[in-house]
Amino acid sequence: MTALTTRPRATADWRTWVRRRGWTVGVWLLLAVLIIWYANLIPRFGAFQLASITKNSLPLVYLSIAQAVIVIGGGIDLSVGAMLVLTNALAAQTMDGQSFAVTLVIAVAIIIGAAVVNGSVGWIINVSKVPDIVVTLATSFMLSGFALVVLPSPGGGTSDGFRAVFTGSTSGSGSNYWASVAMLLLPMLLVAIFLKRSKTGLSIYATGSDRNAAYLSGIRTGWAKIVAYAIGGAFGAMAGLATVAITGSGESRFSTGANATLRSVAAIVLGGIALTGGTGSVVGAAAAGIILFTLSPILSAMGIDPNTAQVIQGSLIVIVMMIAGLVELRRQRAQ
Amino acid sequence: MSVDSTQAPASTAKPPDDDLRKGVRAEWLAEHPLVVLGSVLVILVLITGAIEPNYLSSSGMRNTVLLAAPLGIMAAGQTILMLTAGIDLSVAMIATAAAYVAGNQSPNGAAIAIVLGLAVGVAAGTANGIGVGVFRVNPLIMTLAMAAILLGLFTALSFTVLQGSTTVAPFIKTIGGGSFFGNLIPWNAVVWAAVAVIVIVGLRRTGLGRMLYAVGDNPVAVRLAGVRTWQVLIAAYMLAGFFAALAGILLAGRTGAVDLQLANNFLLPSVAAAVIGGTSIFGGVGTYSGTILGALILSVLNSMLTFLDAGQAVQQIIYGAIVLALAWLYARVTQAE
Repeated sequence: MTALTTRPRATADWRTWVRRRGWTVGVWLLLAVLIIWYANLIPRFGAFQLASITKNSLPLVYLSIAQAVIVIGGGIDLSVGAMLVLTNALAAQTMDGQSFAVTLVIAVAIIIGAAVVNGSVGWIINVSKVPDIVVTLATSFMLSGFALVVLPSPGGGTSDGFRAVFTGSTSGSGSNYWASVAMLLLPMLLVAIFLKRSKTGLSIYATGSDRNAAYLSGIRTGWAKIVAYAIGGAFGAMAGLATVAITGSGESRFSTGANATLRSVAAIVLGGIALTGGTGSVVGAAAAGIILFTLSPILSAMGIDPNTAQVIQGSLIVIVMMIAGLVELRRQRAQ
Repeated sequence: MSVDSTQAPASTAKPPDDDLRKGVRAEWLAEHPLVVLGSVLVILVLITGAIEPNYLSSSGMRNTVLLAAPLGIMAAGQTILMLTAGIDLSVAMIATAAAYVAGNQSPNGAAIAIVLGLAVGVAAGTANGIGVGVFRVNPLIMTLAMAAILLGLFTALSFTVLQGSTTVAPFIKTIGGGSFFGNLIPWNAVVWAAVAVIVIVGLRRTGLGRMLYAVGDNPVAVRLAGVRTWQVLIAAYMLAGFFAALAGILLAGRTGAVDLQLANNFLLPSVAAAVIGGTSIFGGVGTYSGTILGALILSVLNSMLTFLDAGQAVQQIIYGAIVLALAWLYARVTQAE
């Protein structure tokens, strides 16, 4: 990573690099520190523990990427968690007892369907001029309502092969971490390259940065928003599919979706994406997603009960954000 | 916008004064959005009455207000914060926390229970305000984290210190769920009315009220004009915490029991009530009278969906669709030129 992005030039360039990528690199370093710390906390840290972390953080990572793309485009989606719940319910209901090939087809159909649905949400936001937060708040109710229609009570299932795609093992838990690492990194890099290198991707950044300026310079801002929401929907669906692969079943709980949405917002802010849009990268957001997940096993390894752990997690997020706020304030004053 | 431009050629064929009258009507509606909201409310009440004729009675109305009051009070805090371009996603947890403390202190008398419950809300709100106002943490993150902290804290406490504090004092039950004047007017509506008067007059007439609008409208200009923005923000979040706690205590009085899920279902409606009522999430625009109508609309909607007996899933879908439609309608009406 660093070998590709570092440009060995003058000091001024180095400073620019730090300002641009510093936060993203910092978040990945923080993640590395946390994992090393975790490895020293527990008696045995091996492939199984690593696989468990990467696999179980997949849903939150996908949701963070979904939220990241939408926020970079100048929006915010309070329905990503509901999308997770809906696609999880859909997948568990339709994949139960099917062969591997069929489950793959269903998965692709669900991802495309979710992209279309969320893309239309983006379109509604464009047309209605109702703020993103309000529209997606309303659609979060609707999506979790549909989830309850699809799967009224917990259950369903999926094929063993499909579980292996996300978890590296047909039973959903094992020591093979390659599958989950690949499922974590590949989609993330794909989106990162799309955002930074493609015309549409750059127009998402431009739209989020200054919608009017982008519009006046000929960028199709409406389309950029729709694409951002469509990608968000697709990743919401990925999160739902990963959940069905990990747990082997589905559950339509409103609170699951609401909590997941909240964590995705926390993750992207921790990952260095400003909620005002136009800056940051999905790479940082993904790392922050893993961090937020990893905090729970670390705190439980330290012998802290889950409730206190939640208090500590919340406080940590606040403290990090306060420090970030102070740094930003000092930078503004210095200018 | 695009709709307007496609209709423009067709309307030029009509006599000009007809056009003018239409424009004036649209403008009048745009300036009086509360009329539109009021009509929506009346229509919803009539539809609900058509589904369940018993609803159109004094007891039906009483129940609607009884259900709307905690939501309306919680949404008061949300309105104040949205005026400053903020939001509070911890109102539901603050309400639950306050209800818990009030339940725990009920054996010591209702007065102490209420005061301590409200104190919890003010404390949590002040913490939110310090985070947002002094440290410039994004309100979404700050209040989300506050909700997580409170949830963890009170889940832990409910096993130890606060164990068994699941009922509230009789006085709180009366104020939260009782009625007077021949069982017609709920006591919590009186509390809501007091809150409404304070908030409406406060926003219009007091310096702090005007400052809330100004901070939301243009924080940089306000700061350059010498206002200590952080103090305004702390005051706003403190008020929101206070109102959330008040709503939580009333809610505990209405249900008669306290649990950790008490106010969970109120978080999104509290935002929705303010939004339907025309408060802009970007700050600087909005009134509490609009929010009151928003809370009443949502509460009627809830009764309607309950009478339809459609099951939780369909209820959620319809609820979301109507909130979206109302927000869209409001945007259409107020943006008409």
